[in-house]
Order: sequence, then structure tokens, then C-alpha cells
Amino acid sequence: MKQALVDDTEDVSLDFGNEEEELAFRKARIRHPLATFFHLFFRVSAIVTYVCCDWFSKSFVGCFVAVLLLLSFDFWSVKNVTGRLLVGLRWWNQIDEDGKSHWIFEARKASPGGAAATEAEARIFWLGLVICPVIWVLFFFSTLFSLKLKWLALVIAGISLQAANLYGYVLCKMGGEGDISKVTASLLSQTVFQTGLTFLTGNRCKSHHSEEREGRNNPPCHDRAQSGAENRNLLSPRSQFLRLSLES
Amino acid sequence: MAEAAESPGDRETASPRPLMRDLKAVGKKFMHVLYPRKSNTLLRDWDLWGPLILCVTLALMLQRSSLDSEKDGGPQFAEVFVIVWFGAVTITLNSKLLGGNISFFQSLCVLGYCILPLTVAMVVCRLVLLAEPGPINFIVRLFVVAVMFVWSIVASTAFLADSQPPNRKALAVYPVFLFYFVISWMILTFTPQ
Repeated sequence: MKQALVDDTEDVSLDFGNEEEELAFRKARIRHPLATFFHLFFRVSAIVTYVCCDWFSKSFVGCFVAVLLLLSFDFWSVKNVTGRLLVGLRWWNQIDEDGKSHWIFEARKASPGGAAATEAEARIFWLGLVICPVIWVLFFFSTLFSLKLKWLALVIAGISLQAANLYGYVLCKMGGEGDISKVTASLLSQTVFQTGLTFLTGNRCKSHHSEEREGRNNPPCHDRAQSGAENRNLLSPRSQFLRLSLES
Repeated sequence: MAEAAESPGDRETASPRPLMRDLKAVGKKFMHVLYPRKSNTLLRDWDLWGPLILCVTLALMLQRSSLDSEKDGGPQFAEVFVIVWFGAVTITLNSKLLGGNISFFQSLCVLGYCILPLTVAMVVCRLVLLAEPGPINFIVRLFVVAVMFVWSIVASTAFLADSQPPNRKALAVYPVFLFYFVISWMILTFTPQ
């Protein structure tokens, strides 16, 4: 109670200079540059280190530890920071009084005045999240077939760490929706389609995700990948706060 | 990894708070292993960072320095890694098959954290090995490793035994015994050249 009283009587600073800042913040295509950078930095440098370690040092152990460290930092930052900031999703495990463990997946309701994610950030997030585990799976097969088996432990560690995040966030995105393959397919094709379209035509079309001020004068996208009203996109302004809970 | 729910604010920044909280949780669990009491901390609030740190530390210390640059401790390093993680997964599967009511990651967490006494034993052994080799050297190391081995077993059974049905406790504890025995053996038979 006392805490609430203290909060009520705290001075609210009237800071007129902040308004311009707010406006610039909202107009920015990437609102969390640091988070976006680190989301990609750790994953890509883990892959680069694994591929190029023969050039830097002959030490197996040094390379192993370096890649493992980068993968761990990446796991922690994607799970705890960038998912929350870039796409408003989070997932964790909770053990209740009886000792039963629950996996909780949450998607944040997009508030109109808040720091909602931009389309560019979401796209970077999902592309980074999906492409890197695929690359590690490729490494797995190349290690297996070239019989460099001592690297297999590292590759398996890489796959499990990256796939864990991918799986967690896909389940968050699924929310209350039933079919994971449908959601994944629609999400991937939508991202690829829009990226390709932007790249080819050089202009932006307004989609479900983009906010009003970004695509005001642009023609609407023909999202063939989506199926109209069935696609409850969790980032759209009318989405509900969705929580999915799994017991294990 | 387990974390308590925190409500996201409107204008969030990547706060260092979750990092410090995670680090403190790991440190607290290390303390719980060193002074094992009947408490639920290791089980309720599990995480796998501690086991990862311990595994990497143990693997680094168990490297042999060799003149041959091809075998520069490579096999030993990956061996330790595989033994620890594969062993922990196997024990967890065993305890689940026996009807234990502990979750997969909780069990991995406990087994991983209880490697801490053996890691301390490894550090002590490496220091002792700097001295003159001989029977006394070996006896000291044997004593240290044996004490830490018993400590690991006691710490892990304090957490794990409760989750098993009473007539299966020995069946569940026996693989744990084997697991720490293999690690203790690797530590005891380690020589730097």
C-alpha cells in the first residue's frame, strides 16, 4: 500500500522536449537498434567462428569454447531480450507448488501508444531465428559425412540451443491457433514474399502488419499467402493478449 | 530456463536486471550444492547455465598438454562434454522410466550442479600435481577426490531421492553413483603429460 501511495505522489515531469523524441521514435523503422544488432550478431558470429576457426587458431578447444560461448550468449539474449523487444513474445517454464512443470508462451497485446514492434524488426527477427538453425543442421550433415566427428558435439549443442528458441517462439506465435504447420507456412511465405516484393519493386505496400503512418499512400499488398480473416496475427492492433500453456 | 513472470513496460529497454538476476540465481544454486539442505531451490527454479559452466571448466582442466599439435586435447575435451551431458540425459531418462515425478530439465539441473564438488576436486588435484610426483601425491589426490565424490552423491540424492517412489530409490540412485564415479575416475587418473 505504501508503495502505491509513494507512486501516486511522485512528481510527473512536464517535459515538452520529449514529444519530438517520441515522434521520432515512432517514425523509426527500427526502434530497438541495439536489440536488433545483438539478435543477429551472436548467431552470425557463432556460425562465422565455426566456419573460419581453422584460419584463426589451430586449437580445437579454443574454437569449441568460443563458439559455445557465442551460442550461449545468443540463446540468452534471444530468449530474454530480443524476443520481448522485437516481437513482443516470450516463453518460460514455471514449476508450481505440486512440482508440476508448465511451459508458458505469451504474446503481448499491441498497445496503440506503446513501443510496438515495427515490421522491419519483426522480419529481421524471424529471418534470423529460422535461417540459423537450418545452417546448423547443414553443418551437422557436413560434419557427419566428412567424418570430423569431434565437432559433432558442438554442432549438436548449436542445433539444440537454436532450435529451442525457434520452437519456443513459434509456439508463442501460434498462441491459440491450432495448426503449427499452417502458421509456419503462412509466416514464412509472407515474410519471403514481402521481402522479395520490396526488393524487386523498390516500393512498399501496406500490409496487415505495417502501421498507419508507414504505408499511408502505398497500395495494399495482395497477401496470397494469408487467408483473410482466419489469420489472427498477433501483432496487429486488434489482437488479443494470448497465452498458451503446456504441461509437461 | 525458468524465470518469474515480469510485466513488460511500455518503453522497455534491454535492462541488465534479468542478467543479474540469472547470475545471482546460478550463484545461489552453487551455494545450495556446497551446503546441501532439504530445500526446493534447485528443483523449483532450474536453469542449465551452471551445469554448462561446470562442464566447460571441467573439460578445460582435464586437457592434456601434448606436443602433438593434432591431438591438442581435442578428444579429451569433447569426451568430457559427451560423458557429462549424455550421462545426465541417460540418468534422467532412467529416473523418468522408473516413475519419478521430476521433470526432464529439473533432473538435468540437479545432476549438473552437483558436479561442483568434483570440479573443486579437479582444481585441487591440479594444484597438488604441481608438487613432486609420488605415492603421497597420489594418496592426497585420492582422498580429496573420494571426499568430493561422496559430497556430490549426498548433494544429488538429497534433491533427487524424494522424487522417486520409495521402493525404487536404490534403482534411481545407482546410475547417479556410476555417473559421478566415472567423472571421479577421470579426475583421479589425470596426469598432465
